[in-house]
Amino acid sequence: MFELNKTLTYQGLVLFWKQIKDFLITLGEIGVNFSRVVRYILNLRINISETIEQSKRFAFDSLPISLTIVGMTSIIIAMQLAPELARQGGASYTGMLSALVMVRELAAVMSGFAIISMVGSSFASEIASMAVTEQLSAMKVLRVDPIEYLIVPRFCAGVLFMPVVFIISATFGLACAGLVSNQTADLSLLNYVTSMWHGLYVRDIFIAILKSSFFGGTIALISCSCGYATRGGAKEVGLATTKAVVWSFLAIAMWDFIFASIFYL
Amino acid sequence: MTLEVKNLVKTFDKRKILNNISFKVENGETLGVIGFSGSGKSTLLKIIAGILYEDSGSIIFPKDSEVAMAFQYSALFDFLSVYENIAFPLVERKELRGKYTQEEISKIVHEKLRMVGLEGIEDKYPSELSGGMQKRVGFARAIVTNPNIILYDEPTAGLDPVTSTMIENYIVQLKKDLNAACVVVTHQLSTIKRAVDKVIMLYQGDIVFRGSVEELLSGVNPYAKQFVNASIQGPMNIAT
Repeated sequence: MFELNKTLTYQGLVLFWKQIKDFLITLGEIGVNFSRVVRYILNLRINISETIEQSKRFAFDSLPISLTIVGMTSIIIAMQLAPELARQGGASYTGMLSALVMVRELAAVMSGFAIISMVGSSFASEIASMAVTEQLSAMKVLRVDPIEYLIVPRFCAGVLFMPVVFIISATFGLACAGLVSNQTADLSLLNYVTSMWHGLYVRDIFIAILKSSFFGGTIALISCSCGYATRGGAKEVGLATTKAVVWSFLAIAMWDFIFASIFYL
Repeated sequence: MTLEVKNLVKTFDKRKILNNISFKVENGETLGVIGFSGSGKSTLLKIIAGILYEDSGSIIFPKDSEVAMAFQYSALFDFLSVYENIAFPLVERKELRGKYTQEEISKIVHEKLRMVGLEGIEDKYPSELSGGMQKRVGFARAIVTNPNIILYDEPTAGLDPVTSTMIENYIVQLKKDLNAACVVVTHQLSTIKRAVDKVIMLYQGDIVFRGSVEELLSGVNPYAKQFVNASIQGPMNIAT
């Protein structure tokens, strides 16, 4: 029994160490790729046509699911918030609270989740497939750096177009919340919009846009890095995609915490 | 001399894959690299191509050399058409960007496609092509920059005998047209017989045979004899 426990403890420690090692290796790979991406951007070596292509994916592919998630979330919040505030005599605060929640937190985070599932996962699996079918090796032999050709345009698309998705989603979310408040708490749309303006601060909007930009760049960088480091076959492509999604979720949560700590603490 | 490999050593996980490998390939010459699976042939090719790094030793070729590689499974970019695949280095490589006009690129791509006997498939995507056609498009992409060193990784693997012969003929033809030094990694004796001038054989990271095709087939070297006869009995233990 003692021997069995010892073996299990040993195996547990080995597994734990492997996880730590994997974590550090992945972090290192993302860091190295980031530094190379920055170097290319600073040298203005950005493939414009490829960036436009990837921007389309960022903006259009994720927009339907982003609008759905943000819209549904804002509807649910308004459904619960508006009648309750109306009962407490604070119906006129509905717009303000919705705007605060939507702009400061929900729209950016929910859009981020949508982009991870729609775009980030496809970036990771696409580049991982290229890695296991030697397409990345072929690119290197043809003396075209895959970082420049594949990762830089995706990173730029993320940084530039995640804010666009955020702005559209937030506007849509606020509109949904207004309609639901009107239906559930009998709050006129004019009152809702007036109240909403009280909750919209230019500073908040700029912070949210900056945060979205960080989210977009991070999702693109993590997803591409996980794909780029893939070796093996179909199983590893799947693992790389899962890893990209998990790491992107964690990174979004981390950035959100950092932004909240810096700007709202 | 175009390509020289000197005392090349490569280790993976403390296991020596290549142990002091040295050889030379001249212009207009093709070296065949044979050996069992896992003997380090593809690793050798990847080191010459610059995909992997050697632990020690050196790869020597003139500074202005252009190295090209045709991959075992073609490694065509599946999101690009045949035309875009072949034009890829002309359009995307930093030092070639802007060097050619669209008309010049089109002319070069069509010429390379003609050299591998494929015309009229420019707009097709790799998934629409047969294995043999993919290989030839891979060749066309490899030679688009007129390389003087061409590396072939298992060029006839998985192909029917007739298509294999056609591929072997193209290897010979491209070598002549470009006066290139070629290295062909292969398991196929037919490829050795038709497309290769001299041969080295790897086993457990060492060169166990070095000579002409005739010497390989003569059966004097016990390693070569076992390989040529496809025999389980011999100095090489296939379980390793």
